[in-house]
Amino acid sequence: MEIMQNLVGKIFSKKPLRASNEGPPDLDDLFKDLRNKIDNLFRTGPKRLNGGGNFNQNQGTSNNGSDRIPVLPIIIIVLLIWLATGFYIVDQGSRGIELRFGKYLQTTQPGPSWHLPYPIETVEVVNQEEVRTIEVGYRTAGGGTTQELRESLMLTGDENIIDLQFAVQYNLKSSEDYLFKNRSTDSAVRGAAESAMREIVGKSKMDFVLYEGREEIALKTKELVQFILDLYQTGINITSITMQNAQPPEQVQAAFDDAVKAKQDLERQKNEGLAYANDIVPKATGSASRLLAEANAYKISVENESKGRASRFSQILDEYLLAPVVTRNRLFLEAQEQILSSVSKIIVDQKGSNSLLYLPLDKMINKQPRSLNKDQSSRGSVNSDKSAADRINSTTTERSRGTFRTRERDAR
Amino acid sequence: MKILARSLVLFIVGVILLSLSTYTVDQREYALVFRLGEVIHVKKDPGIFFKLPMIDNVRFFEKRILTYDSTIPDRFITSEKKNVLVDSYIKWRIIDPMKYYVSVAGDERKAERRLSQFVNDGLRAEFGKRTIQEVVSGQRSEIIGILQQRADRDSRQIGIEILDVRLRRVDLPKEVSESVYQRMEAERKSVANELRSKGFAESEKIRAEAERDRDIIITNAYKEAQIIKGAGDAIASRTYAKAYSKNKEFYDFYRSLEAYKASLNGKDDILVLDPSSDFFKYLRGPNKK
Repeated sequence: MEIMQNLVGKIFSKKPLRASNEGPPDLDDLFKDLRNKIDNLFRTGPKRLNGGGNFNQNQGTSNNGSDRIPVLPIIIIVLLIWLATGFYIVDQGSRGIELRFGKYLQTTQPGPSWHLPYPIETVEVVNQEEVRTIEVGYRTAGGGTTQELRESLMLTGDENIIDLQFAVQYNLKSSEDYLFKNRSTDSAVRGAAESAMREIVGKSKMDFVLYEGREEIALKTKELVQFILDLYQTGINITSITMQNAQPPEQVQAAFDDAVKAKQDLERQKNEGLAYANDIVPKATGSASRLLAEANAYKISVENESKGRASRFSQILDEYLLAPVVTRNRLFLEAQEQILSSVSKIIVDQKGSNSLLYLPLDKMINKQPRSLNKDQSSRGSVNSDKSAADRINSTTTERSRGTFRTRERDAR
Repeated sequence: MKILARSLVLFIVGVILLSLSTYTVDQREYALVFRLGEVIHVKKDPGIFFKLPMIDNVRFFEKRILTYDSTIPDRFITSEKKNVLVDSYIKWRIIDPMKYYVSVAGDERKAERRLSQFVNDGLRAEFGKRTIQEVVSGQRSEIIGILQQRADRDSRQIGIEILDVRLRRVDLPKEVSESVYQRMEAERKSVANELRSKGFAESEKIRAEAERDRDIIITNAYKEAQIIKGAGDAIASRTYAKAYSKNKEFYDFYRSLEAYKASLNGKDDILVLDPSSDFFKYLRGPNKK
């Protein structure tokens, strides 16, 4: 024990000694003319040490040492190498956290820096600005994603179960907190995100989460996750929470799809109704226009007709007043002529006989159309009318022989 | 050579001695210094400190926030006697390394077991008072608050502070989930049916309204048409009246003839005539009788 303390004493006492011998001027010389200094040391180093040294043990060995090993340069080189280990480079977006004897000293910005080498100071480089992602409810591996049902299925406020997958993106707002305040800080994000999402979803209705409320859910969750992580002083900044998928669970997917289809059916039926309406209403408008146009046409035509007839009557009346009897007879006869020329007629002289006259009118009417056509087409109608009359004749002969005659009169 | 060897030996021995008689406490650690089994220092601040080599030994404890995550969900019973599976995590931190060491011998797993006991007791008590509905949606943060305070009070006795207790997942057991799915399916079916019926109803409504519109348009037009026609008739009637009233007797005669001509104009019409009528007076002879 004593020996050890002695040695320690020697080591510690040696340092100030050396420092006093090779003060600032010597160090300057060293840099100016290193070679010369080394040569000098080779020859006179031991002497110098002896001259300045005041402890005995080293003196003896130095004098005896004839090998002239360059002790000081080696020490200096070792020292330089040791000092060089303190250099480090901080990448863009990262921060260097320097610790002196385990105690936080300072944070260095991107670029080259130097710290007192181990074991005095250490540095930890933390990537502060890189956006990290965790996936909840699914994992991306290789080209595909696999679902994590344990994470993705959650209860909603109305006690339904939904299948929800989301991703959390975050970076750091404080590298110091990130490093010092939590162990395995990154895993805190997953826990907080899951807990927060379930809390928010648990307060919402299923339809809201599945359809219109996605954005809002993500936003609220982000706020809550940030709150939780700030509570633990993680130094993490949530940049965004993105809903990857929000859907009903597999077991009820079909029913949900059907409901969506039903909604489309509703739209379709509505559209069909509208199509029908758009078909009939314009058509009705068209018909209405037609009715009105027709009415107007009718109005004008009856007006014109009335004016025409009235005018005609007035003119005839004027003439009639000039020669009433002649005009009257003429009009009468002309009318008779016109009527009798077109209708079928039967002239019966009833004065001569009291016997009952039988006229089979129904049969005559039935045969009429044929003969009417012929009558319109040719002069031969006389014959045909005659034959028709004959037929009537023959059918009625028995009953009223010679008592009636039919006569036809052709119009022209 | 000797001077080199000597200084090298001295250096190495020095380094060894130094490392044996000092210890570094990191920013993230506590240190307990034991002298022959007895705690003589509790170091809560970082830095480099001296100790007696060989005699003193140092144990380090985590100063950062730690997470206890119960990987297997626990079953709890709610006030309506339903089972729920709860998966929670605890954020905890050693605040008194001395007590911590004494209570759990510095074994983190042992500490976590104690913590989960504290929390689970709290959970059982709180869930027993609430329905699933309340646990899932309404009172989550309230439960968390109560649990945290309660567990924190207990855990401080073993030198641990509980910062937060979070219910990560509150799920229904599998068999209950199945019935939830069935209910959801039934609900969706009813929604689908309702939508379809609603679609039919709306379609019918639109159609009926369209038909009503059509009828209104047509009848309105009909009404307009009749008014117009009436106006026309009225004008015509006035015109006729004005003209015909000039000579009523002649109008009678003239119009009658017109009517006869118009009505008796086809072979379908059969006139049965008496040859003694005025019209045939010359048919019987050249002189009027």
